[in-house]
Amino acid sequence: MSFARPLAIRALSLLGVLMAVLVLLVVSLGATGVSDKLLRAIVGEEVRGIRSGLAQTPGIDPDELENIVAARRKDLEESYGLDKAWWRRLPNTVFRVISLDLGEARTLKSTSGSRKVSDIVLDRLPNTALLLTTSLVITALIGLVMGVRMATKVGSKTDRILSYFSAISFAMPTWWMGILMILIFAFQLDLLPAGGMYGTPPPEGGFARFGDLLWHAILPVSTLVLVSIGPYMYSVRTMTMNVAQEDHVMIARAKGMPEGVVTRRHILRVAAPPIVTGLIFGLTSSLGGSILVETIFNWRGMGRLFFDAITGTPDEAVIVALTFVFTLMFVIARFILEVLYVILDPRVRYN
Amino acid sequence: MTFRQILRELVSNGPGKAGVAMLVILIALSIYSVARFPFNFGETRWNNPAEWADNPKAVPPSWSNWLSGSNGVAHKKVTVREPAEVVTGARGTVRTYALSWDFDVDEPPTFVSMTVEGLTYNVRPPVLSFSLARPDGTEVVLLRQVARAPRPGEVAPFVRFREEPLRISITTEPNAINAMGDFFRQNYTETVSSDVLRFSMARALVSVPDPSVDEDGERLFPGGLRLLPGTYEFRVTATVTDVGDTLDSVRFVVGGSVFGLMGTDGLGRDLAVGLLFGLPIALFIGIAASVVTTTIGASLGIISGYVGGKTDLAIQRLSDIILNVPLLPLLIFLVFVFGSNLFLIIFFLVAFSWPGLTILIRSMVLQIRSGQLIESAVALGASRWRVMFRHVFPHAAPFIFSQMIFFAPAAILAEAGLSFLGLGDPSIPTWGQILQDGFTTGAVFLGYWWWVVPPGVLIMITAVTFMFLALGLEPVVNPRLRRMN
Repeated sequence: MSFARPLAIRALSLLGVLMAVLVLLVVSLGATGVSDKLLRAIVGEEVRGIRSGLAQTPGIDPDELENIVAARRKDLEESYGLDKAWWRRLPNTVFRVISLDLGEARTLKSTSGSRKVSDIVLDRLPNTALLLTTSLVITALIGLVMGVRMATKVGSKTDRILSYFSAISFAMPTWWMGILMILIFAFQLDLLPAGGMYGTPPPEGGFARFGDLLWHAILPVSTLVLVSIGPYMYSVRTMTMNVAQEDHVMIARAKGMPEGVVTRRHILRVAAPPIVTGLIFGLTSSLGGSILVETIFNWRGMGRLFFDAITGTPDEAVIVALTFVFTLMFVIARFILEVLYVILDPRVRYN
Repeated sequence: MTFRQILRELVSNGPGKAGVAMLVILIALSIYSVARFPFNFGETRWNNPAEWADNPKAVPPSWSNWLSGSNGVAHKKVTVREPAEVVTGARGTVRTYALSWDFDVDEPPTFVSMTVEGLTYNVRPPVLSFSLARPDGTEVVLLRQVARAPRPGEVAPFVRFREEPLRISITTEPNAINAMGDFFRQNYTETVSSDVLRFSMARALVSVPDPSVDEDGERLFPGGLRLLPGTYEFRVTATVTDVGDTLDSVRFVVGGSVFGLMGTDGLGRDLAVGLLFGLPIALFIGIAASVVTTTIGASLGIISGYVGGKTDLAIQRLSDIILNVPLLPLLIFLVFVFGSNLFLIIFFLVAFSWPGLTILIRSMVLQIRSGQLIESAVALGASRWRVMFRHVFPHAAPFIFSQMIFFAPAAILAEAGLSFLGLGDPSIPTWGQILQDGFTTGAVFLGYWWWVVPPGVLIMITAVTFMFLALGLEPVVNPRLRRMN
């Protein structure tokens, strides 16, 4: 019995995912000429710096200055590989994306005012992580409890109502749900803030600030939970129901075991691994959902950044960085769930 | 199971019945929409501001009157081709085109415009005059305009306003606003300041000046203008010198404070038209993406499961990787880099969606191939392909079919999400794009519910239709459930 082997296989597969996404990113960037544009922007930025530095030197001849600048530009273009075809600098580009070394954003800025792409993206990362984990944990807990309740009472009124709710929840576009929430709770009832992360002005002091953050998080988190809970709840119901019809459950009941023990030990324990799988699939939709929800609620996370980078003057560098960071985040979260799966399913360990 | 049996099973349960009924309605509406709108509707009409110039901007649907209990102005747009009156005098023939309009509600119109189309003259440029006759017997001449004189070298007959009709927006035209101010000064004891007129010209047209105040000194009527109900007549007169001079038509538009079945957006576009055009597009996205995805996913699944060996390993590795890719961020990236074309968007959707089905079908095929049926087919000398498609596929078919239906809403929602982020195909208006227009222009924060709620409801109805069909097919696919019900 060992954890190492199945986990290593999963880790390898996820690493494959990461590499595949990276290759897809850089190849499409190269083939469409976007990567040239990005590198030219970086070179242009540096050349500007050199020129203004040289212009400070007293008594410099303008022609000489132009020569020096031109020579420096040529050096830089060579070192960035701009003189070579795009496929010859693929490894270089991959490394650049991994280290988020993508130069400066056109218009976007981080809170501290930095224009470096890595600063901007890392600045927003915690906000997205906060929103995603909170809603994922709430979804998992409620979905598990309600799904099991539905499965133990198949055909009951609760089951039927929740089944219809699941279908609607699945069919509900995330962003539209968000818009409805704003229309109802922020405008009609005037209960909750329509967007942003803090009130204006943000309250002083750590505790008050945190409370304000929670207050602003209620609508986006409930939007995410409402749209992702339906399918998850329904999949928990199906898994539990399938196990509940197995013979060993009937035997447990025949032995006169209390219903609670039957549910916990004989149904849930067996259904646990596929339920975790359901959560893994829920993660994909939550990740996509968070991009849209952040956009609607003006939550200053990576999703809103994505929207800002697309609209107006598109910021290619930021879009590339975000795609990579989202993939990375997704792969890490997936791995954590895989560990959980391996712990829960003994068969994986013995095979 | 034959197709007839499947259909009978489908309509025998609640969700299946609802799904079939909804699908029939959606398809009927789509056929109507396809028959009514040309394919290039998006470029030639939807994104063409001239097409919608005569509509009120961002007004709710007509039936909202009934909801809110208020009494809005109905939109009126009438094209008059024959003059109501022709008078010949010393200075020429005066042809009057008129529209009579009953005003009996408590809100002024949102705008008034008059458009002259196709003026032909032979000798001297005709004089056009735009005026309004009011119920108290007064008439205000809002604007006079002379058609452009012949250009050097131009020969009679001279045609004006045919390619570019002369559209006078009475409520924003500065000369008309000045004329209204003069009219008030001459006919009434009270006057209205030009600032007030500039902002409430539409109200002024149907009001008399009344600066009365209540006990607190507040004005009883906004801007000091008391609405004057009654029958109005909008008039356009053309004074021509030659009998052969003609005028094709005059269009009168009284901008409503409510419009049509679904209201209008911020550019005055009729949302009912946009939503109707979006229906076949949404169905097309859903059906095309799901058919292609299931075909690829199921074929690879059958091959992977039946052939086995290195082929199996390769397909499994590939699907494992693609299945684990975060969909939306990558879609955003790819559509951004390669451009937003509807077919490209569907292609990317398919490219990332097939592996889920491949893995499921493979595990089904592994079970099916160990059965005696397949064994006997192989023993009879059937080729690999024949076994796969004549013997393995029929066993998995109901499941594949239900997965196909299940995937359609996912594709519709994904496209809508992309459109909402501003990555939709600009030449084809979709529901997601209508919502995005509303969101980016602040309709959500201004409470324009008729603009943002219906597209979402329609996306949901379409998605729920497919969901219900899939739910209704569950007893067909999963015989265990058939026994339980």
